[in-house]
Order: sequence, then structure tokens, then C-alpha cells
Amino acid sequence: MPLVEIQDLKVRFRQYGGTIEAVRKISFSLDAGESLGIVGESGSGKSVSCAALLRLLPATADVTAAKLMLDDVDVLSARKGDMERLRGRAAAMIFQDPMSAFDPVFTIGHQISETIRAHRTVTKSAALKEARELLERVEIKNAADVLAYYPHQLSGGMLQRAMIAMALSCRPKVLIADEPTTALDVTIQAQILQLIKKVQAEFGMALIMITHDLGVIAETVDRVLVMYNGEVMEEGPVAQIFDAPRHDYTKRLLASLHTKFEPSRGDADAAPALQLRGLSKSFRIRRRRGLFTEYGAFDAVRDVDITLPHNRIVAVVGESGSGKTTTGLMAMRLTEASAGEILVDGKDISSLSPEAMRPYRKQMQIVFQDSYSALDPMMTLTEIIAEPLVIHRIGTPRERTEKALAWLERVGLDRSFGSRYAHELSGGQRQRVAIARALILEPKILVADEPTSALDVTVKAQIITLLKDLQAELGLSMLFISHDLSTVKSLTDSVVVMYRGRVVEEAPTERIFADPRHPYTRALLDAVPATNPRDKRERSFLSAEEISAATPRMTVIQTGLAPHPDPQLVTIAPGHRVEAIVTA
Amino acid sequence: MLGYILRRLVSVAVTFIVVSLIIFLMMHSIPGGPFDANDMPVSEAVRAKLMAQLGLDQPLYVQYFRYMWGVLHFDFGVPYQSPGETVLQLLSRAWVPSLVLGGLGVLIGAPLGILLGMAAALNRNSWIDYIASALATLGLTVPVFVTSMLLILIFAVWLNWLPASGWPDPERWILPVAAYAAIPLATYARYTRAAMLDTMSRQFVTVLRAKGLSERRIIFQHVLRNSAIPLVTVFLPMFIGTATGSIFVEAMFRVPGLGAYFVSSIEVRDYPLEMALMLMITFMYCIAYLLSDVVYALINPRIRIGGAE
Repeated sequence: MPLVEIQDLKVRFRQYGGTIEAVRKISFSLDAGESLGIVGESGSGKSVSCAALLRLLPATADVTAAKLMLDDVDVLSARKGDMERLRGRAAAMIFQDPMSAFDPVFTIGHQISETIRAHRTVTKSAALKEARELLERVEIKNAADVLAYYPHQLSGGMLQRAMIAMALSCRPKVLIADEPTTALDVTIQAQILQLIKKVQAEFGMALIMITHDLGVIAETVDRVLVMYNGEVMEEGPVAQIFDAPRHDYTKRLLASLHTKFEPSRGDADAAPALQLRGLSKSFRIRRRRGLFTEYGAFDAVRDVDITLPHNRIVAVVGESGSGKTTTGLMAMRLTEASAGEILVDGKDISSLSPEAMRPYRKQMQIVFQDSYSALDPMMTLTEIIAEPLVIHRIGTPRERTEKALAWLERVGLDRSFGSRYAHELSGGQRQRVAIARALILEPKILVADEPTSALDVTVKAQIITLLKDLQAELGLSMLFISHDLSTVKSLTDSVVVMYRGRVVEEAPTERIFADPRHPYTRALLDAVPATNPRDKRERSFLSAEEISAATPRMTVIQTGLAPHPDPQLVTIAPGHRVEAIVTA
Repeated sequence: MLGYILRRLVSVAVTFIVVSLIIFLMMHSIPGGPFDANDMPVSEAVRAKLMAQLGLDQPLYVQYFRYMWGVLHFDFGVPYQSPGETVLQLLSRAWVPSLVLGGLGVLIGAPLGILLGMAAALNRNSWIDYIASALATLGLTVPVFVTSMLLILIFAVWLNWLPASGWPDPERWILPVAAYAAIPLATYARYTRAAMLDTMSRQFVTVLRAKGLSERRIIFQHVLRNSAIPLVTVFLPMFIGTATGSIFVEAMFRVPGLGAYFVSSIEVRDYPLEMALMLMITFMYCIAYLLSDVVYALINPRIRIGGAE
């Protein structure tokens, strides 16, 4: 008797003016202890199916199925009380965003112990003791303290661990993980995935891993279900899906993992298109002391040097809080730098007046991560794309519209989209519009700030291809800001790794992947999920202490340079610099 | 927290001074005075004597500092309209009916509004929700003097169940309290419904369901606690707004309350009373907002326990 049995599940959402078919017809089963991956893009119905299994869908959902069984209970006909007993005990869930998965006004300890007490009659103190043991099992070191913490006092990675502890608290037979690492940094993602595998083995649970990321699938499961548009496209053992995909969609998904580009050809001798020299940003933080206010400084970016040659793509890679976005904004002078120079074609623009900046604004454009908030919802796409022309007083209204429509086509959208509004588009389409708007002035420099991180994998590959094509066509110099090393690998010419506001390593792309020297770069590379289940490997992480330490481990280098107690950026090969402590 | 309260008290003092200056200047910049010839036909000599007696012949800044010096000693002067008592005596006499009726209105209206809002949120898009929303909209849009007239018409004139006047006996309180309760009830019904729907749409509620918690526990412990945070902050300011009396309600029900004096003191240029009323209101609102912010911080761990590790 399988633990989960779903036959011909259909889910429809009633909404104003009709219904949406979220799940058209899916069937699958899961045995005790098995690991199943469900992979698909947003809107493919993968999360909805699992929510239906626990009857967690809102009242507007119509759920029908020939069979919907969880642990021998018919979910469709079970009474409310029976469902409540089933949830958490037969199947427990962990969710994408740990920050919003906890109730902000109760402590972690309260929320774990209340789960225990909802299913078993134990005293409060016994439940708290159990909660503490669970926190220890998910490798939270200061478990006793964490019990008394409120969710906002913990980082995303720690919260996701606590979430897993909470899910384990009723010894579920199956753990449903719904994009458990999508909101986390790469190094944290790798740790959480490893933890999930570990507790699955320890507790002898089955696992359903819902994700859009094939890398996560390759790392964690035995069997895979590929979903698209509410239907199952393909099902099979994980090795078969990766090595011998049968369905076109699966092939496209896999292809998006291995996009390859021609390297761009820049002129190494000419002055760089953009050069950042000693760029720093410190934010003033206010601290209240009784009646008085003290001011401290937080250094978001410290003394960063980045060179972007003409017609090249340079990646700035780092995790949240590394200062990469601030650096990009400062380079565009959208945030004022606290110190340092910004050289465009050799001319320092860091202190130009807004008037004097105007001609430079034309040459430098930016594409943001969140295309939804970057496009004015009250303007048509034509107006949005043509706006830079209006600002710089180029052409007549008719010419502007014509040019905007031409750019719509150039970024792969139909001209008929011109009269639409941003909310009518998908994320990928919106990002195309943002790219068209950035490039309509034919700038020389483009800063792309995580332009694909909010997109589905196949769409992401398309947008990257578009950016690369346009870069080559227009001879753009591009600063590509990303946290995703796998994207960077296929696209960029060189990589700058940022960590805690500093550049810790910089090298041509092949070199940084072949011979990373800084421990943080190694940790980042190590954390990238495998692109094939055969490449699964044990990982060595920077420990939590090292991650949180002000200065991570340094490579100690012996060179001809004068020894220095502070870490220095040392050139160890042409174009390869790494932060290290120089010893005699 | 203590430092925060102290800093806020300093800002209350500053607000107090600024507001007192503005009111004082506005009051005196309106042309005319309390003893204008058409209001009070007395001889020039008598008027001069009266003005001198009340200090109104002094330069404005002297008058201001004299008054504020008095205020510091809880001496708000003597009301021109009622020279037989001090402003403080008048306030403490007239405020009682306003406080009782308005205060009861809020204390009854707010909880009823919360219940109505909860019922609406828990039965979203059902007839309960529609009725609650209609009531809330009526309560907010129908002016209070219309509500009062309707209450009198229905319960005093047609049904003859209750007296039309609202003071002093407790059975006379019912109608004015009902009139006062309309706005807090409507406001709270709307706020509660919105806050609960907002909380219920948040992800952690799905997580609570997925953990196997009962619906009752989810609503009464988690949803209510989260929804209460915005509700707490509107209570005190609303209480003060209502418990200082409404000129309309008090006029309708012939309640000898504070409300009427807000208007009459301006009309007859009763400077001491007008200043006292305005300072009192300012002070109470300042304290109400201060307390609201403190309570908000206490029930919201994000504020109470600062930032992330």
C-alpha cells in the first residue's frame, strides 16, 4: 500500500469571470521512505497538487480525483478533524520563504512546541525540551537560545532549519518540501539540501521535493516527475530523466542547464569602458542611547576596484549583503559613493552635476531584478520603452513610437504588445521590455542587476541568450551582477567575487572555475548544485562561524611583496587577483 | 524603552508649546474681542476697566506668558461666560457627562465592532459579511446628528421606550451612548475585517494549517494576535476624540457636556476657556499617541526586540 496515491487529480480555481485549470490531470504514488522530485516552472501545478494532498487549498479551489489517498486516509472525504490529525503527522511541509512561514509574534520555541502539543498530550515543558532536541538535530548550535527567539531575530538559513525541525516534530511519514531553498543564498541552499537528505535518512521518511531547479533534483531524489502546464510530462528514475529525457520539455529544461556562448571579443589595450577605483559606500546607522543618538557606520562596500573593458561582460558575484548591488548602483550614480572614482572612458564622473551627468546617463543603462516594480503600471509598453527618448529629447513622437515598436521586436516580442500594460505580461516578457528600454538609447555600458533571478529556468536561459546576443550586436560593455555562478559560467568573460563589501577574488571566468583560490570562492563553487545526479558529491562548507566571522579564512601567500598584517589583493597570475595575507 | 518614553515626553512638551502658541496667536488674530460694543453695550470706561482687569490691555506676549505661567500652576483662569467659577471647575463639571456618554460609546462600540469585523472576515463574501460591511459603511457615512435624530424619532417619539433627553439618569444614557457608539463600531468593524483578512492571507497561516493545528486555535491565537496589532493603535485616539463630547450629540440629547463649549468659547471670545480646551485636547492626544506607540512596541516583537542577529 503506497503512502501517497493520487489518481487523476484535477484542481480548478474559480475566479471572477471563469475558472483556471491549475492541475489538469495528474497521477502518481509514493512509497514509504522514497524520494520523489516534482520539477516544473511556476504555474505548472506542482505546488497546488501537494497542497491538494493536504487539503490546504482555499475555498475557491475545486478538487476532484479518482483517488487521493494519504496514509490510507481518503483526503477528499475525510472529516475536518481527521484532516487536522493527518497534517503534520502523516505529511509535514516546509515552504519556500522561511521568513514568512513563521508567525512573527510568537517565539520559535512556542511554534514548535505548539505543533507537538497539537498532536500529542504532553506538558509544555516536555514539548519545549523536545523542541530543543529537534533544533539540535537540525544542527542549530545554540538551540536553547533559539527557542526564545522571535522569527525576525534569525537569518533565512537558520529559520529554514527551524522550519525543518518543526516539520520533524510529529515524526511525519512524508516530508513535502516546496521550493525549500529558492529564497536562500547558494551556500546556504547546499547546506539545507544536505540537511534535508540527512534527516530524511535519520527519520526514515519519504520525501517529495518540489522545485524548479534541476540541480536541486539531481542532488536529492531518486525518482522525478516533470510537470508542465498542469500535466505530467514525464516520469522516471532520476538518472533516466537526466541521461535519456524523452519529452521535449524535459530536454529544454536540461538544455537550459548547459547554455554555451562564444566569448566576447574586446580590445584589451584600449582604455576600459568603465573603471571603478576605490569605490566605497558606508551607511550611517543611528543608535539610540537614552536621550541621545549615536551614529555608527556600516561599510556596505569597501574600497572596490573593478575594470570593465570595452565589449566585455564582467560578472560581479556574491551573496545577499555582499555589496554587489550597491556597487552596481554606485557605478551608475544611482546611489552616491562615499569615496572613490567612477571612470567612464577615462573620465571621472563621480562628482559631476546632474546636468553634466546627462550625456553619460545616455551611455549607461541598468536592468533590475524585479521587472514588475521596475515598469510603471500606468504606462503602455510603447510609452515605457520610448520614455528614455523623451527624456533625452530624441526624435519626433512618431519616430519614438516606431523605434519603441522596433525594439519590441528586437527583444522577441510582437509589435502588438505595444499597447499593453506591464501586468499583462509574464516575468520573462517584462524583463524583455526592461531590456528594450535600457538599450533603446544604444548605451555603451549596461549594468544588469540579477536580471534573471526571478525567472523560471527555461525563461532564464532565453533572457540570458537575448542579453548575450544584444551585447555582441551592440558591442556593449556589461556588468552582470548575480548570485548564480552557473549563469555566470556560460556568459561572462571574467568574474569578480564580492564578500562582505570587498572584492575577494577576481579572475577570467575559466580560471576562477578551474583554480579558485579564496576560500569563499571555493565555498561558492562547491555549493553549486550538480547538473547531473552522477556528479553528486560530499561538500565542505564554510562553517556557520566562518560565514559570520568578520574576516573569513585567508589564503596565506608568500610573494616578493612586503609583508602586511591586513589582507591584500594580490595578483597571482595575469588578471587573477585574490585577497590574502601576505607573509614574508 | 525608558529612554524612548523620555524622548517622547520631551517631544510632547515641545508640541504642547508650539500648539499653545499657534492657538493663542490665531485666537487673537481674529478681529474683535470679548467686549465688543454690539455684543456688550457698556461704556468706554467700563470696557477699559474690564480689559485691564482681565489683562487684555497688555501686549500679546505678556498675555501669553501670563497665561502659560498660570497653566504651569494649574491655573487656567476664569471663563468669561461663567465668571462664577474657574475654568478648571467648569471643565470638571462639564466633562463628566461627555466622558460617561462618549466613553461608554467607545467601550461598547469598539468590542461590538471587533466582533462584527471578525464575523465578517470569517464568513467572507457571505450575507454576514455583506450586512456587516453595510452597517460599517452606514456608521461611517451617516452624520452623527442624523443618527441621533433617528434614534430619538424611533425610540423616544414612535416607540416611546426611552426618554429623548440624555442626562442625568442612567436610563437616559442609552440613546446618546448608542449614537456615540456608531462610529467606533463602524471603524472597528472595518479595521478588524481588513486586518484579519490580511493576516489570514499570509503564508504562516497555511503553515499553521499544514502543521495540523485546529482552525479554532489558528484563528483565536495566531490570527487574532497578529490582527490586534493595528487595532490597538487606533483605540486611544478614538477614545479621546469621542470622550470629549460631540456638540451634535450633546445638543440633540440636551446633555450639559463639554461639546458645546468648544464652539461657544470661540463665539464669545472666551480666551481662557478656549485655550484650556485646546491645550487639554492637545495634551490628551499627545499622551494617547505616546501610549499607543508604547503598547504597539510591547505587543510587536519586531519593535520590542530590535533587529536580526
